[in-house]
Amino acid sequence: MIECHGLQWGAGGRALTPPLDLQLAAGSLTAVIGSNGSGKSSLLKVMAGLDRPLAGRVDVNVPLLGGVSYLPQQQHVDRQFPIRLAELVSAGFWRSRLGRSERQARLRQTLMDWGLLDLQTQGLHALSGGELQRALLARLSLTDAQVLLLDEPEAALDDVGLRLLWQHVERWQQEGRTLVLVSHNLAGLERKNCEGLLIARSGCIRAPIRQFMAERQRLGQVA
Amino acid sequence: MTPDILWAPFGEFAFMRRALFGGVALACSAGPLGVFLILRRMSLIGDAIAHGILPGAALAFWLFGLSLPALTAGGLVAGLGMAGAAAWVTRRTGLREDASLAALYPISLASGVLLLGLAGRKLDLLHLLFGSALAVDTTTLYGMLGTAVFSLVVLALSYRALALDSLDPLFLRSISRFGPLAHAAFLTLVVLNLVIGFQAIGALMVAGLMMLPAAAARFWSRRLLVLLPLAAMVGAVCVWLGLLLSFYASLPSGPCIVLLAGVFYLFSVVAGPVHGLLRSSPFPMTV
Repeated sequence: MIECHGLQWGAGGRALTPPLDLQLAAGSLTAVIGSNGSGKSSLLKVMAGLDRPLAGRVDVNVPLLGGVSYLPQQQHVDRQFPIRLAELVSAGFWRSRLGRSERQARLRQTLMDWGLLDLQTQGLHALSGGELQRALLARLSLTDAQVLLLDEPEAALDDVGLRLLWQHVERWQQEGRTLVLVSHNLAGLERKNCEGLLIARSGCIRAPIRQFMAERQRLGQVA
Repeated sequence: MTPDILWAPFGEFAFMRRALFGGVALACSAGPLGVFLILRRMSLIGDAIAHGILPGAALAFWLFGLSLPALTAGGLVAGLGMAGAAAWVTRRTGLREDASLAALYPISLASGVLLLGLAGRKLDLLHLLFGSALAVDTTTLYGMLGTAVFSLVVLALSYRALALDSLDPLFLRSISRFGPLAHAAFLTLVVLNLVIGFQAIGALMVAGLMMLPAAAARFWSRRLLVLLPLAAMVGAVCVWLGLLLSFYASLPSGPCIVLLAGVFYLFSVVAGPVHGLLRSSPFPMTV
């Protein structure tokens, strides 16, 4: 569960929105939406403990380290870094206490789940954007964190990749994990049972995504 | 070339053996550090810190004379001080770390030259910057061996954090608080290697021994676990052949070692299987 109390965030000491009070229950799926520069990714970083809020606080009912996992945007990943895909995905074991053989079995299963088994020995430089995104998602799924913060998880994914992503999101929800994701794909989110959090300068609005879709034209002017 | 030619000077002269063992040890730790410097986009920082240690060494010389512990401590304090000051300026002002280092090292260099002037020019600046591998005494040799072993152990312990911090720093920060500590430990190792090396082959030459084998190795493999030993091995071979060249041709040893590494780097640029010119792809390598 995540709770925000009077939370304000932004760059250069200037808050992007009025104070935000928010409660996200375990097993919930919340899509953070809003225009470019509205502060969606920054909010996720504050929730992940990567940036400090300007005011207020975020309470998470699990330890930040190990309990919360964060999917960065692809451009933060050095694609020329000289390692193989399987090594990148294995970084998800960072806080794991599994033994060597268990890790290998789990890694193999995860690579299979994300359709990456044939690519495991490929260098990062040889991966397409969608393949790299799937590898980052596979790494995230190895962390076993209870709170998952995903910054644009749909980026670069094709239809197969998107199907795998939503399958995993459903599974994570069923396991009671709390999910927050930044997305620009309102039409895609409408089909999911998903809450929306619109970030705008005038204030943040929380409502089911379907409602946002119904009022898209009006909100488009706000955001 | 017979094996005798390749070994005779080292068998015959103790100073050659000391230079070889010290140089090879230094190459084994400096090469892997260079690989990480390149991966962390800090390639020029070694060079900047090599200049930055000068005022500390000069002040130590002024106060204590030509004492190895004093020179080492002085260089270490100045190098770490400069790296720390650059990191502090970056954190407080947002100026990029390479820019703040580039701004600080001329200040350090000028202060060092001034201090040497005040000390009465008894210590040759050229010796400090370019050193003499053939003047490695037993104390310096032990210092180099100890530094190499210490560096490799710390590097092995912080390997995962350093690699992930270079690859995807945000993800590392989300799962571990070890990133900044690994970065600080890494910078300390860079300074330590430069300081211990400047007395043997000179501060600027160590920067060469750190970066050239690492840059060359990048043209031969795309695997980090291959690049690290490869850079160490290339550096070690260059030390060995460089000392032989220096011995037989009566040339200064530091430049011989670094120039051989430079020749291997140029050869790698041309013939390396990973984006070498002979196998160039339309997509240039960025790291």
